Amino acid sequence: MEQLAQKFSALEENEVFKLVDEYLAKKVDPLVIVNGLSKGMEQVGQLFKDDEYALAELIYAGEIFKGAMEKVKPLLLDGENSSAGLVIMGTVEGDIHDLGKNIVITMLECSGFTVIDLGVDVPAKKFIEAIKESGAGLIGMSLLLTTAMDSLRNAIRAIEEAGIRNNIKIMIGGAPVSEHLRVETGADYLGRDAVEALTIARKVFNQSTVDAG
Amino acid sequence: MKASERINAAINLECSDRVPLAPLLDHWAATYTGITNAELMSDPDKRFNAVLKTAIDFKWDMSFLADTVNTTLLKLGVPARLKLPGIDLPERSEHQFDEKEVMTEVDFDILESDGLIALLSRLIPRIYPEMTVESAMTDFAHASTEITDQAAKLRENGIDPAVGFVIPGPSFEYFCFARSINVALTDLRRRPEKLKTAGKRFCQDMLGLAIASSGQNNISRVFIGVSRSSPVFLSNKLFEAFVLPDLELLVSGLIDANITPVFHCDTNWTKFLHYFQRFPKGKCIIELDSFTGIFKAKEILGEHMAIMGDVPSTLLAEGTKDEVMTYCKNLIEEVGRGGGFILSSGCSVPLNAKVDNVRAMTEAIEEWGWYK
Repeated sequence: MEQLAQKFSALEENEVFKLVDEYLAKKVDPLVIVNGLSKGMEQVGQLFKDDEYALAELIYAGEIFKGAMEKVKPLLLDGENSSAGLVIMGTVEGDIHDLGKNIVITMLECSGFTVIDLGVDVPAKKFIEAIKESGAGLIGMSLLLTTAMDSLRNAIRAIEEAGIRNNIKIMIGGAPVSEHLRVETGADYLGRDAVEALTIARKVFNQSTVDAG
Repeated sequence: MKASERINAAINLECSDRVPLAPLLDHWAATYTGITNAELMSDPDKRFNAVLKTAIDFKWDMSFLADTVNTTLLKLGVPARLKLPGIDLPERSEHQFDEKEVMTEVDFDILESDGLIALLSRLIPRIYPEMTVESAMTDFAHASTEITDQAAKLRENGIDPAVGFVIPGPSFEYFCFARSINVALTDLRRRPEKLKTAGKRFCQDMLGLAIASSGQNNISRVFIGVSRSSPVFLSNKLFEAFVLPDLELLVSGLIDANITPVFHCDTNWTKFLHYFQRFPKGKCIIELDSFTGIFKAKEILGEHMAIMGDVPSTLLAEGTKDEVMTYCKNLIEEVGRGGGFILSSGCSVPLNAKVDNVRAMTEAIEEWGWYK
C-alpha cells in the first residue's frame, strides 16, 4: 500500500484509481486499500502542515479520496465501515459561508469520521437538537463574519443552558475566531485550519494517526 | 495639502504632510448614518449620501463609494446569487453570496472564443432568471453615470474617490465563484490549459472594461480583488501557473493606461508578498486585511509599492478605543516610516464597528500621523 499512499499524496488521481482497480481485481482486502488511501491523506495533511501544500491540494485530495472510495465502499462488509467518531458541523446563525466548514468535513470524512452537516445559518436550537439526537462527541462551529460572533456566543451559551455542555466537546473556527474568543465562550478547542480540526477530532476520540502497511 | 496629493505622494512612496487616511467603506456607512443596509444597497442616492457624510465626519482623505455594496456591480461582477438585506436577509444585515456551480466546461470555450459578455449572457440568466445580460448592461451604464457624478461630488468636498472600477480578481477568483470552489480547484489539475486560455480572455476583456470605466469617471485607480488565489488556497506552483500571468496582464495594462492597481488582498498573503516586487515601483497599492503580516510587507514591499491597511475588523467591532489608537500608532510609526503608507481598515469597516473605534483612526492620524 506504500505505492498507493505515495501516488495519493502526489495527487496523481488517475494513478490512484488505476491502482485501486488493480488491487480490487487481485481481491486485496478492501480495508487494506482504505488504510492505504488514509495513509496517503495523512501524508497530504503533513505536506499541508509543512507549507508545501495549500487548501487547493487538500480539497483535491478529498476529491480523489471520494472517487477511490466509490470503488471500494460497495465491497466493504457490514461493520467494516465503522466510524472513527461522530462529529456535528455547522456555520452559525446569520452566516452562510461554508467553505471552511466543508473543507473540515472533507478532512474528517477522509479520515474515517462520520459527520452530521447542519449546513449554514444554523440557529442555536438546531445545534442543541442535533447534540441530543445524535449523541455526537464533538461539534464544530464555523463563522466568517464579525457580526456572527454573537451568534457563536449565543449558541454555546444555549448549549450550556440546555444542560448538555458536558456531553460534548466544542471546537470553533473561522476568520474572526481567536484564542481570546475561545476562552471567552468556553469552547474547548480552536481550529485554525482543517488539519488542526482533524487533530482535534482525533484527540477527542482518542485516535492515533493512521498506521497502514 | 490636498487629500489627493497625500494619496499620490503615498503611491509615489514619498512623504506628504501626514499619513493619509482611507478606510474601506461599505456596510458601515448604513450603520453610522442610520439607514438600513437594504437602503444602502438598493438606493444610489442614499448610498452616496451615507458615504459622503461618513467620509466628511471622519475627515478621510480618500473614500470608496461603497462600490462593494453596489447591487448592480455585484450582480454583474460576481457569478453567484446575491442574497440581499431586506429581501433574502434582515434589512439591517450585510449581503452574502450563495455560491453554486453555474459555469459549465463548455462555457470556458465560449469565454475564450467570444469573450466576457458572451459568457455573462449565459451565466446571468442561470443565476438571476429574472435578469438578462441586456438589462444588466443597462443597469451597469446607469451605475457608471452615477459613479462619475458621485466622484465629482466627493472631490468637491475635498475627498479623493478611491477606485473607478472593481475587477473581481484574476480569472481563477472568478472561476472559483462560477464553478464553485471545489470544482475550480480540481479544474486546475483536470483542465489546466483551458483555464489559462479562457482566463487570459477574461482578463483582457475585464481590463478593457476597467480602462473604459476609469476613463469615464476619471478615477485613476482600479481595485483588483485577490482572496482565493492567496497562499492559503494555492501553492507557489499553482499561483505561478494560474494567477501570476493574469496579474501581470492586468497590472501592465492598467499602468500603461496611467491607472494605479489597488490589490485588495484578503487572507494571509505573507508567503506570496515577494511576487509583488515584479510590478513597477511606485505604481501600485497593496491593501491588507490584517491577516497578512503588514510589517513583513513593509520589509519586502516598502520600497516598491504603497501599503494600505490594516486595522482588524474584530478590533473595530469589539476592541476599545485605546486599543485601536495603539494599533494605529504602531502602524503609523512602523509602516508609515519614510512614506508609502495609507492608514485603513483591514478589509471593510465591519457593519458592527463602534463609532468611537472608527473615530480613533482619525484621532491617531491627527496625533501621530504628521511627517516632520
